[in-house]
Formats: sequence, structure tokens, C-alpha cells
Amino acid sequence: MVPVRGKRKRFETRIKILWVVIVCSFLILLARIAWLQLIEGERYLRISKNSRLQLLPLPCTRGLILDRNGKKLTHNEASFSVGVIPSNVSNPDHLLDRLAIILKLDKKAILERIRRAPNPFKPVVLKKNVGMSTVTFLLEREEEFPGVVIIAQPVRTYLYGGLASHLLGHLGEVNQAELALSSGYGIELGDLVGKMGVEKVCNRYLQGEKGGKQIEVDAHGRALRTISEKDPVPGHSLYLTIDLRMQEIAEKELGERKGVVLIGDPYTGGIFALVSYPGFDPNLFSWGISESEWNRLRDEPLHPLENRATRGEYPLGSAIKVITASAALEEGIISKEDTFFCGGNFTIGNRVFKGWKEEGHGEINLEEAIIHSCNVYFYQLGLRLGVKRIIRYASLFGLGKPTGIDLGSEKPGFLPTRDWKKKHKGEAWYGGDTVNLSIGQGYILVTPVQMLKVISVIANGGYLIRPYLIKKIVSPRGDLIKEFQPPKMERVPLSSATLNFLRRSLRGVVREGTGWRAESKTVEISGKTGTAELSEGEKPHNWFIGYASSTHLRLAIVVLVENREEDIQIAPQIAGKIFSQIFEKNVP
Amino acid sequence: MYPDSRPYDWLLLLAVLGLSLGGLFHLYTISFVHQSYYFFRQIAWVGIGLGLLVLFSYLRISLWEKVAHLFYLAIFITLLLVLFRGEGAHGAQRWFRLGTFSFQPSEFAKLSLIIVLAKLLAAKDNIGWRQIGLSFCFTFPFLILVALQPDLGSALILLPLWLGMLFLAGVSPRKLLTILGIGASSFPFFYLLLRPYQKMRILTFLNPGRDPLGTGWAVLQSKVALGSGKLVGKGIGGALHTQLSFLPQPFTDFVFASIGEEWGFVGTGIFIGLYFVIITRGMKIARQSTNGFTRLVSGGLIILLFFQVFITVGMTIGIMPVTGMPLPLVSYGGSSIIMFFLGMGLLLSMKRFGE
Repeated sequence: MVPVRGKRKRFETRIKILWVVIVCSFLILLARIAWLQLIEGERYLRISKNSRLQLLPLPCTRGLILDRNGKKLTHNEASFSVGVIPSNVSNPDHLLDRLAIILKLDKKAILERIRRAPNPFKPVVLKKNVGMSTVTFLLEREEEFPGVVIIAQPVRTYLYGGLASHLLGHLGEVNQAELALSSGYGIELGDLVGKMGVEKVCNRYLQGEKGGKQIEVDAHGRALRTISEKDPVPGHSLYLTIDLRMQEIAEKELGERKGVVLIGDPYTGGIFALVSYPGFDPNLFSWGISESEWNRLRDEPLHPLENRATRGEYPLGSAIKVITASAALEEGIISKEDTFFCGGNFTIGNRVFKGWKEEGHGEINLEEAIIHSCNVYFYQLGLRLGVKRIIRYASLFGLGKPTGIDLGSEKPGFLPTRDWKKKHKGEAWYGGDTVNLSIGQGYILVTPVQMLKVISVIANGGYLIRPYLIKKIVSPRGDLIKEFQPPKMERVPLSSATLNFLRRSLRGVVREGTGWRAESKTVEISGKTGTAELSEGEKPHNWFIGYASSTHLRLAIVVLVENREEDIQIAPQIAGKIFSQIFEKNVP
Repeated sequence: MYPDSRPYDWLLLLAVLGLSLGGLFHLYTISFVHQSYYFFRQIAWVGIGLGLLVLFSYLRISLWEKVAHLFYLAIFITLLLVLFRGEGAHGAQRWFRLGTFSFQPSEFAKLSLIIVLAKLLAAKDNIGWRQIGLSFCFTFPFLILVALQPDLGSALILLPLWLGMLFLAGVSPRKLLTILGIGASSFPFFYLLLRPYQKMRILTFLNPGRDPLGTGWAVLQSKVALGSGKLVGKGIGGALHTQLSFLPQPFTDFVFASIGEEWGFVGTGIFIGLYFVIITRGMKIARQSTNGFTRLVSGGLIILLFFQVFITVGMTIGIMPVTGMPLPLVSYGGSSIIMFFLGMGLLLSMKRFGE
């Protein structure tokens, strides 16, 4: 009985303590309520009656994008928008009649937008990028346009127009899905976010944080006092691995040819230049692209919005011979001295496969076959290797899967197999398919950035790079936020004998073979050409994958010219010109 | 009926009726015709709640002690189900649909927790670490399940409820301080688990200038609405700030601000006074009870009511963070209304049977 009574007594004490706590808390509530309603009540009533509160967002500037040497590629320009704060408009009909004329807008549409405004204290933007003369006109007659506000906004500008457009990307209005993903980062409907390229990949860092201001205004919309304010925070700056000079040279040399140029460091995977032609001007998007302009870009048959370097899938033509040759040597199928006879064409079953040289190359060995890109030699070699081994080596070189480049939405290319053909074509794999595959024709597809990986393996002595574009992220105050290092690289199982042999042969290709147009006086270039034949009547794609080095610069290059117009090996010629200029000035 | 039954605690019942009918009337006056949907549903809920209140006041309180674990288990399972199959609003899964009514199990989790903790803590005379540990094992799963919905407000109120019940059960001050110490030191860890918008709300509370466009704006509007009511309010139909929807969620989270605008300090004072009546009557019932279980159930109910009133009212006047919890017995919302009516029914039955 005693402990029970003791417990009850303790409960008594505790509940008394609780009662005191509750009484004090309720007194605090009452005191605060009394303060708001009785002491401050008059002020709040005035605010509420006049509803003269405004909510002004303070836009933040987007982080800059710079090249590897700190040269600015983007910039933020001031632009003016005209908006209306619905709560401050007393006579919308009259006001909008006048505004519609000045801003050349549809009055009905404006009315609808104002009526739908989620927050009547927040400006509804009526027109973006209003000219200076209109802005001055409105500001001078402020009294006649109650409720109208001019909002200064930074606009993303790309200093070099369409330069590197695919890798920089562009902005666009945030959509519902992106909004859901970025909840809590202060992004609202109507905001611009990165839609492509590094603008999209690094949007989170570039975006910055919007600020805002609650202000009390008088009947004429003049600010009386600021109730609270938060300063905007600019976004972080992005340093790319891109070298502006190399990018400019590459763009100039590719010219108006549909295709790709990729220049990278074969030892780290850092990309110095990425060109995909045709491109677009990302500035169009920042200033609010019109529907017709957008439709034109989207429906253009040449697909200027598509990044061909990472999303274009092409047959690779004779460039595959680098892989076929590696496989043959590593698997011990042939020795370097073994020869095949080339009589200009090759028959398997009842099909005749042509070489590119009608009279044939005669008895030739592997090195000569690579230098002169002899198809007939590789037909025979390919048959000895078999599809399985060719595909295995292609996969070891990184084909058939995304390279992991930090641009996202990359295409994987395609490596055919016997099983795949049976399943999808309902046919067996024929010898003719292997013959086609051994010169990079048929079903196989690669992306240019995969080819950068392939050629880098030869250039760097057997390592698989992961191409990357983002070097580091730096805060507006200059603090390093994030730095990207090339990951530890996997090795392709190639012996040094094989690698040395391939390098000698690839040098031969440019010195005296099919890649002679790449030969340069300034630097020793090695590489392999490829001409991917397409269906009847279509002009072939022309490839060059190669590399060159000086004492302090080592570069790998991929040039792809889609449906070449010139009837010559144009890709190696472009590569040669690019390398000559880069190495000439000898600036790293 | 029962020969030993005593009369109702009429004062308590009147206060409950005053709050719920006052809330109903208020809801009617601030809704426009097209919003009558809310009003009629709220009538239904208050009606159901009253019926349940009467029913439960006639049930012996000891019945609840017997089904405490079963009730807990049932709520636990519904909380699990609602995570996977529930319906969302504003990106959260909190509801179950039953016909045209939806049901929010996190509200009932509070009641179930009070009952199960009261049973556990009343069983022993001296509460050691074992009981404290066990009581935490009952509280923690609910906390996590509700927080995952995510409904941080409803989850976090379970913590002071648990602590308060330990306090009333007579846990020594030294042990209580130790628990608080452990809790405070693990806070940074939990902060990391919060979602971005939840962190924002906490940061905004600590520094209202941080987010003037979002949560900060809502609180400012709430203060303007409430403050502008002055002493006697703007009267029926005069609460323009509320009705022109400057005030966010005037029926639910910010209902107290709209009461302040329409009825002034007189109205807000009366509402606070009615809560105070319920709490003092509840305490009287708790003190008169000779049974450990009933004492703790009534104590738990008082604590829950108190915290929820303090937080929801405090939020509208800018002294508590915005959490999105209903004002007990007043805010629009069936689950909360019914749960509090049930709780009040329990208080009344204790008085009647005087166990």
C-alpha cells in the first residue's frame, strides 16, 4: 500500500508542475496574441485593409562557365521585364488597355494570367526583354501605371554564340518533373534551368539562390519600408577541361560540314574540344525562344540540337582495323610477317566483297594492310578471328557501352552477336557478316566519343580513359567546391609488342598511307582513317582517329564527316590542319 | 446503466462542445458558397465524433488497458500500409480512403501510444531503465513511420508526449535529464536525415528573413490576419484577409489566425480559455483517480492537447516553426476531430466510473 500511495503522491507533485508549465505557456501565447492584436493591431489592420504589401523576388546570377584557362565562355547580361502586381491594380481594364498597346500584347491573355496568379502580391511577368526606351517611358510615368513594376533580371549570354553549343547546352523553363526533383532548392515555375549539356548536368551548382524582399508600399506603389529581405546568392562557377583556342580551331576547320571533332588528352580523358555540327545559338533560349524558332530547331532535318559526339551512332568503317589487328596479334592468329593475297576483291559463297583498290595490293603483311587499309586482307583475317573474338576485343576497347562522359544522355552504340542476329533478324550469322564486321560495316555502331576512347588506348599505352569535361567547381568567392580527377584507369590486355606495332603502323598510315592528307610539317601525326559506306546513293561517312604529341602537349583526335561532300579523305585533312595549328603556336 | 456511475463532467463537455461548435460556426462564416463542401463534411465529422464521445464515455476505461497492445498493433500495421498504398497530398502519403472519407492513421497513433505507454508505465512502481527502454521501443516505430510519410510535425509531437508521460509516471529527474542529454546530442544526426523542405522550415523558423517568399510569407500573412482583428475582430464576413486567400490554409493549419481576424482578441481569448478549461478539468480527473493506468491516460491526453494547441497557435503568431498540424477540435479534418473526441470520451468515462 505504501509504495502505491507514494506513487500517487509523486504523481500529484508532477501534475502540479505540469499545470504550472501549462499556465505559463498559455500566458505566453495570450501575451503574444494580445501584442499582435491590441498593440500592433492598428498597423496590421492598415496593412490588411490596403493590402499594400509586395513580394519582390531578387533574382540571382547564374554561375559562369569558363574554359580550362579561366577564359569566360558565358556571361550574365541585364535585361528588363515588365510585370504587374495584381493586388495593386485598382482598375485593371483601363491599365491593361494602355499596357497592351505599349508592350504589344494580347489583352485577353494578360487578364487571364493576372487572374490565375497564385499570389496577388507577387509580380506577374507580362513581357521579358523590354527595350530601354519602353522601360524609361514606363518609369517616367510611374504614377499613371499603378501596380506596374520593372524587374531587372540577369540573362545568360553565351559569349561565343554557337561555339561549343552542345557541350554548354542551353536554358529553358523548368518543367513539372524537374520541379519535383529540385524541391527545396528554391526553383519555381517559370524559372529557367539548364536543359542540356553542362548547364543541365551542373544546374544545381550554377543556379544560385534567389533572394526576396517583402515591402510595404503606399497607394501609388512607392516603397515605404522593407519588412524583410534576403540577399540572392550567385551560383558557382564551372571550369571546363575545354581549351577555347582549340575549340575555335576545331570549329573553324570542320567548317560547315555535318560531323564531329573531338580533341582530348589521351592520358587523362580531359576533353579540349568538342564540336558537333550543325549546332545552335544557346542565346536564343536564354532570351525566351519563340515557338516558331523552337519548332524550326526541333524539326530541322539535320538535327542541330543533337550532340553527335555522344548521341550519334555510326558505322566506323576501317577505323575498326585497329581493333581487328590487336585481336589477331593478341590471339596469335597471325604473326606480323604473315601475308594474305589481295587481288582487289574477295569471294565468299556467291557474294563478292570488293576492296577499294581494283587491281589489288598483292601479297601484303599486316603493317602494309593497315597503312593502305586493305579490305581484302582484313576480310580474310576477320574470318580467321571469327565474330566472337572481334566483338570481344571491340568491347575491351570500350565499344558497345556508354563511355561515362559527364554530359549524360549518352548513346551506347551497338555490337552485334550471333545470338542477337538470330533473335532479331531471324537469320543465322553468315561468313559475309563477319567479313563486313572486320572492316567496320554491317550492324556495328559507335559514337565519336567512344572512338576517342579507342584511339587513346593506342596513344597512352593501353589504358581506357573516361572522357570528361568538368574540371572544377568554384564558389563566387573563389573557394574550391569540387574538383574532378580522372578515375583510376582500366588496362586493355594488350602486350607492349602489339602496342608498338600498332603505333608504327598508324604512323605509317599518315606518312605514306590512306591518311596522308593529315601529314603536317609541325608535328608527327599518327592515326587511322575510316570510310563507312552507307546504302546506295548516300555519300559515305569519313573518319579519322589519331594522336600527336610534342614535349608538353599530347592530344588524341576524332574527326567524323557525315556524308562527305568532297570525294577525298577529308577527315584526315581536317585533323592535320587542326593539329598543325595547335602545335604550331606550341601553347599548351 | 452501472450502479456506480457518476454524472458527467459537464464543464469539460461544455468546453469540448464550445470549441468544436465554435470551430464549425467559424468555418461556416469564412467559407464561400463554393466551399460549403468543407463545412458539411466537418458537420459530419463533429457529429460522428460526438456520437463516439458519448459511446466511449459509457465504456469502462479498464477495457482500453486490455486491448492496448492490440490497438497498438493495428495502428502499426495501418501506418505501414499507408506508406506503401496510401494517397498523397503535397507529395506526402498520409491518407487512407474509405469511401468518400479519407482516414489519417497518424492521428490515431497518438491515442494508441498514450494508452500503450500508460499500461506499460503504470505496471511498475519504480520505473527503471528497462521500462524507459521499452517505452521508447513503443514510441520509436511510430515516430519513424510517421516521419517517413513524411509528416514531421505529427512525428515530432510523439517525442514530448513520450517524455511527458515518463515525467508523470514518476521517472526520476536524473534519468529524465540523461534522456534529454542523449536526445540533444543525437539531434545533428537526425537533422541530416531531414528532407530539404523540412530543413528549410527549421532554418526559416530560426531566421524568418531567410525565406521571405515561402514559409516566411505564410507566417507574415498569418500575423497580419490575426493582428488586424484587434479587440473585437472584423465580424462575420469581414475577415477579408482570410477570405481573399492571402492567408494560406485558413481551414486547417492557420485556422487560429482566421479566428483572430474574424473574432479579434475576444475570440482568440475565448478559444484559449476553453482549452484551458479542458486541461484543468482533465487534471482534476487525473488527480482524483486512484488507478495508475487512468491517471497516465488522462495525463497523456492533457499533454497531447496542450502541445498541439501550443504548437499550432504558436505557429500562427510566429513563435513556433510551421509544422502543419491541426488545431485540436477546431481545424478542418476528420481524423484529428474524431481522435480528440475519442480522447475526451475517455476522460469523461474516467470521471463517470471514478476508478
